[in-house]
Amino acid sequence: MTDPFATAGFLGLSGALLVIGLFGILTRRNFILLLISIEIAINAAVLNFVYFAAYAPSAPIALEGQSAAVVVIALAATEIAVGLAIVLALNRVRGSINVAESSELKL
Amino acid sequence: MSYTVVLEEFLPALLLLGGALLVFLADVVRVRRLEVFGGIAVAAIVGTLGSVLADLGTPYLEAFRTIPASVVDAPIAPGDLFAFTSLGLIFQGIFLLAALLVALASLSRPSHERGAAVFYGLLLLATLGMMFVAVAADLIFLLLALEITAISSYLLVGYTRRDPRPLEASMKFYIIGALSAALSFFGASLIYGAYGSTSLLVVGHTYPAGADGPLALAGFAFLLVGLGFEVTLVPFHMWAVDVYDGAPHDVSAFLAGGTKKAGLFAFFLVFLTPVVIGAGAQLSGSLELLLAILAVATMTVGNVAALMQDQMKRLLAYSSISQAGYMLLGVAIGTAPAIEGATFQIFAHVVLKAGAFLVVGAVAAMGVGPFVRDYRGLGHRRPVLSVAFALMLLGLAGIPLTIGFFSKFVLFSAAVEAGGLFVWLAVAGVLNSALSVFYYARILRVMYMEPAEGTDPATGTDGPLLPLGGLGYGRASAIALCAVVIVLFGIDPAPLLTAFQSGASHFLALGV
Repeated sequence: MTDPFATAGFLGLSGALLVIGLFGILTRRNFILLLISIEIAINAAVLNFVYFAAYAPSAPIALEGQSAAVVVIALAATEIAVGLAIVLALNRVRGSINVAESSELKL
Repeated sequence: MSYTVVLEEFLPALLLLGGALLVFLADVVRVRRLEVFGGIAVAAIVGTLGSVLADLGTPYLEAFRTIPASVVDAPIAPGDLFAFTSLGLIFQGIFLLAALLVALASLSRPSHERGAAVFYGLLLLATLGMMFVAVAADLIFLLLALEITAISSYLLVGYTRRDPRPLEASMKFYIIGALSAALSFFGASLIYGAYGSTSLLVVGHTYPAGADGPLALAGFAFLLVGLGFEVTLVPFHMWAVDVYDGAPHDVSAFLAGGTKKAGLFAFFLVFLTPVVIGAGAQLSGSLELLLAILAVATMTVGNVAALMQDQMKRLLAYSSISQAGYMLLGVAIGTAPAIEGATFQIFAHVVLKAGAFLVVGAVAAMGVGPFVRDYRGLGHRRPVLSVAFALMLLGLAGIPLTIGFFSKFVLFSAAVEAGGLFVWLAVAGVLNSALSVFYYARILRVMYMEPAEGTDPATGTDGPLLPLGGLGYGRASAIALCAVVIVLFGIDPAPLLTAFQSGASHFLALGV
């Protein structure tokens, strides 16, 4: 249905987005930057949906992918809103949004 | 499936949504009474539970049936977002039971504590998400429902807002949850690319042909990791101990007994539906082996870590991880008896582990410390509560005459029945159960054999406190409900077995 090389390239792009996002989630100590990393990682999935929908063989299949993309975008916004709420509460209690400084619970 | 049917099915679930909105509204108009919030929540949950049981076909409740019997277990069509399976309805019942226990127990919280409205509102919303998980037939719908549950539960962990420990737990839970969501959705997008659909039915029908494609394999792998975080699959389990430890006690009970079970059902749907429809009741060899290895690793790591814990909540959290391993065995084996056993194990775990966390919450409210050694002499000072706790621990260890024995028995005999590699899974499971007896027995020994030190922080004397032991009616009734279920179905599991058996066999015939 599509040129395999184009698919590989696109998957490389979304894969890179995912890896950048995951790397940020695992290494960032500032909660705001961490939220941005989460957003990047989720956008990798959105990009995939849009790409596969653009090359879908029929309209119903394309619609499924496009609506999935919209749903995931809305979900990412919700996720970030909740994250910001947690940051605000943390900042009030601790006066800091550094993730590494929260270490009362030991592994 | 017509949309009137869909609407009718969601009527009971809308009761939960209505309850949540009513709780928030009551908070806005300053009806700041715990009994009001708790009453609304309990009523909404009980109402929904009644309707779910009626849909399952309980003769006494038949009049309240909201969906036609013909729709339950009907084959699903490619465009369907929902499938009303009896297994899904059973899981709805399990989720509602967990929510009911927590809602009841929280009625006994100190009435001056802030945030009761937020707690009950979010509890209802999280339960609503789980109700949707149980009827999902489409990957996007399933992940979205899981997210409703997850987002509510991040906030539920940190709802007190003033204490640093729950907030830190909430933050960790949030980061892990967001990571898991990103991976799951990425997996779903790859599956959409590979199969041209996110419907589990379509994926199932094309599964044998497309199973070897790299896109599909990568999609399933990402979903395995993403959902693995949700169900505390080893090596993605480390967050759970911190979160269960840091969360308020009632919320820990809800996380272990409720939201994690929703993740497990999502695991069932993603990894069994395609396989069941596409290629008979067997997973493809490599995936099956991988799941089996991860399940055994999960139970072993959880048990060994629990052996070394001296904090009660962390010990229970590790034991919860190991229990997830048993439940995942059911997915790895994938036969009807195995799904039946896993469902039974999940049901048992709700009353056992949520009950245990509720007892820990009750004990902490009496001023007893968080360590296992702080429970010295509890058997003497709180005889009734201690008997309930002992029942839960014996059940978790799988001792006969408790519900935990039968659930493991069904699961392990299904593994032996499946033969081959699975016999070794049963052996690993039995060995792990034996290992777990050590740490459960240690708690029992501390409670009953070691004398208490000093005076009772709650009474100031050293005598036993009867009858409720200062529990409060809400918490007492929740713990009593757990104890009754543990003993009742431990002695006669037949009614449960019949229901789970028919649920499992219908689930395997879903797409036919």
